[in-house]
Amino acid sequence: MLQVEAVDKSFGDFMAVCQANLSVGKGELAAVIGPNGAGKTTLFNLITGQLWPDRGKIIFRGEEITGLPAYEICKKGIARSFQIVNIFPRLTVFGNVQVAVLSQQRRSNNIFSPAQSLAIEETKSILESVGLSDKATSVAGSLSHGDQKILEMAIALGNEPELLILDEPTAGMSPEETAAALELIKRLASGRGLTILFCEHDMDVVFSIARSIMVMHQGRTLIQGKPEEVRENREVQEAYLGGE
Amino acid sequence: MFKGIINLKSVWPIWAILIVLLVLPPILPRFYTYILAVIFVTSLLAMSLNLVLGHGMIFQFHHGVFYGVGAYTTALMLSKTSLPMWIGFVAGPVVAALVGLLIGWFCIRLTRLYFGMLQISLGSLIWAIAFRWYAFTGGDDGIHGIPLPSLISSLNSAYYFILIILVICLVALYLILKSPFGTTLEAIRDNPQRCEAVGVNVRRHQLMAIVIATFFAGVAGVLFVVLEGSVFPDLLFWVLSLEVFIMCLLGGWFTFSGPILGAAIMVSFRTFVGIYTEYWTLILGIILILLIFFLPEGVMGYLLEKFKPQAKEVGERRSE
Amino acid sequence: MELGQGLDLVSLGSQLLVGLSRAMILFVVCAGLSFVLGVLRVPNVAHGSLYMIGAFAAYSIFRFFGSSTGGFWLALILAPFVVALVSLIAERALFCHLYQREHLMLLLFTFALMLILGDLVKLTWGPEYCSVVPPKVLRGSISVFGSSLPRYNFFLLIVGPLVAVALWFFTNRTKIGKISRAAAVDREMVGIIGINVSWVFAAAFVIGCYLAGLGGALVVPTVSVCLGMDHDIIIEAFLIVTIGGLGNIWGALVGSLIFGVTHSLGVLLWPQFAIVFPYVAVVIVLLLRPRGLLKSVW
Repeated sequence: MLQVEAVDKSFGDFMAVCQANLSVGKGELAAVIGPNGAGKTTLFNLITGQLWPDRGKIIFRGEEITGLPAYEICKKGIARSFQIVNIFPRLTVFGNVQVAVLSQQRRSNNIFSPAQSLAIEETKSILESVGLSDKATSVAGSLSHGDQKILEMAIALGNEPELLILDEPTAGMSPEETAAALELIKRLASGRGLTILFCEHDMDVVFSIARSIMVMHQGRTLIQGKPEEVRENREVQEAYLGGE
Repeated sequence: MFKGIINLKSVWPIWAILIVLLVLPPILPRFYTYILAVIFVTSLLAMSLNLVLGHGMIFQFHHGVFYGVGAYTTALMLSKTSLPMWIGFVAGPVVAALVGLLIGWFCIRLTRLYFGMLQISLGSLIWAIAFRWYAFTGGDDGIHGIPLPSLISSLNSAYYFILIILVICLVALYLILKSPFGTTLEAIRDNPQRCEAVGVNVRRHQLMAIVIATFFAGVAGVLFVVLEGSVFPDLLFWVLSLEVFIMCLLGGWFTFSGPILGAAIMVSFRTFVGIYTEYWTLILGIILILLIFFLPEGVMGYLLEKFKPQAKEVGERRSE
Repeated sequence: MELGQGLDLVSLGSQLLVGLSRAMILFVVCAGLSFVLGVLRVPNVAHGSLYMIGAFAAYSIFRFFGSSTGGFWLALILAPFVVALVSLIAERALFCHLYQREHLMLLLFTFALMLILGDLVKLTWGPEYCSVVPPKVLRGSISVFGSSLPRYNFFLLIVGPLVAVALWFFTNRTKIGKISRAAAVDREMVGIIGINVSWVFAAAFVIGCYLAGLGGALVVPTVSVCLGMDHDIIIEAFLIVTIGGLGNIWGALVGSLIFGVTHSLGVLLWPQFAIVFPYVAVVIVLLLRPRGLLKSVW
């Protein structure tokens, strides 16, 4: 479904991503791991168009999307959440998700009907599925960090993506919140049939839910494969797992 | 369709104000009627700016240009062509919006202060041309004695005409803000990057907001012509733009109706303090500084914070 | 000025020299604006008012000494200090309490300052037009490459580069200059290394305003000093600073030269629309390079 082929990106002299390869099949729950500064977030930014790659190709459903602006890539069916909470702090929780749903329904430019009466059902059902219904009228900026991370995901779901990219969805969460968030991710993958690509710090998390794991180190792809394969790969153990 | 959004019961104070404004002209001295009309025109201008400034965080530094363009277009059409007058009235806002589209198209690549600076430059070019092109725009003399339809040529009828148009425009602006377009615009204000990531073409959306705002500024320009029967290059000068900018900040730029209050304060201040002293700008400056220090949310923002229950009726999520 | 004589080389030359000398005054004013913009990140709308105060102060000092040559030099030295003092008071009493606030509030403050200073000038000097002739040494014309140039303009052509060199020396060779340059690029960093950022800002603001005052003092013999000159200069200064690159002092120099030269060309080619020429130049520059010609510090 998603193919990343030999993508490079440098900031000045620093090669943030170098010869990265990644492939995600339909319906897969795939993960990218790697130490801090390995280029995971940069890679995601390249896929979703926040950044443009210097070289290489990104193909989504057989169509090249390299260098398209972020909003076009979103319209092709890739939605994402951000590592650092990135929401609309002054809008309500409901409004946050509604903006995404309206955009998905191509209604953002509608100036002739009240927003109050549009996209209500869709927004409600998303909030319900992530468990934020009871906070729908709160101002997003006032939520707890854990809830804001969940809201991140809910906004991404508003775009009815085929591929959902989650950048460290559990970063900064308490253990309980992390467990709940993982449940949610699993449920989304199985229940909605979503393809999910995420990156994560916590090894236990990754190996417990991912079907396919790509390991990045200093901007490079070391390997991509099933969790067992990755665990047994010597290069990975040396570079990253420290010979676990 | 709109019934849900404008709740008739909750807006009774607005009805009351409207009725008062409707019955005032015959009782009021001419001078006060005139001042009220000036406030209306200025309010519309400030409201149109706030669509992009307060709700879109677009630093439209030279909004007055579009007001001037609207006024000049109508003035030129009325005084130099023999086309039916209504065409002149429609042409004002339309040309203002077209100029808004053109200038906005160039500026929208930039953000914040750079956007504002580039806009001042492009706007000043228009001012410089109008200021010098005696044959066409009358240069620094402007155009006077513009023929107006007899229906609106007296002060009282002009007053009613302006009031009606103002109300229509305010309702339109309110509906636009409450539409998906307005919601998305506010979302862009809060977080443009995220908006892009949910599939919103941020620049195109902002450009559309600029076109709408400049259209309404053009309407305000036409109303100015109706009221004054003349135009002059000061309408295009940056000082006016800055004043309108200040009105939004003064009234409360995160609120819907704040700019009206800001405009009313500025206009009445200039008029009434101006009667007593020629140094009214000195006093205005001091008041502004006091406001910056003590009421940074603007007057309306302050009132909304203070009377929270009413805040919901005015419909600002900020004060919830 | 002789208008619309067509394009003979002599009038082109003298017109260009006049344009260049006018550019020098613009440069002095814009360098100050750009300096404040770079360090404080605030477009100081009151900059034009400070320029006007500089002009009026220079006028008064010059007249006080009976329009003597010495009085002129004294005016040139003292008037900018008067302006610097005014700005220091405004900064320490009011402005410095606002640095943590929303950016637009700072803009609003400078606007309020402009209103107040404008009226204070009216109170002090009245609404009359004031004009002076340059002191004896700077009166008359000299001949440069066959075209005649008023001596005073020649003097400006010397002063401009001097100010530029002084500014360069200041920002590159003195401690306070280096700190303020660093503050322009990365204000957190300056705070971290233990420098009182507030005083850096104050110094930058006062220096910027001093330059406004100097520009005002320099312009006195070439124009009639009057209310409203603040409005005219500030818009030009904004445009120049924008095309030069916000906060870049050399950009202010380049921008001023473009502005001055295109204006003088306009006078030569199409006098009626002379003031339109620099605006067109500005628009062309900005369409090609929206962030200005030189690198902005932002």
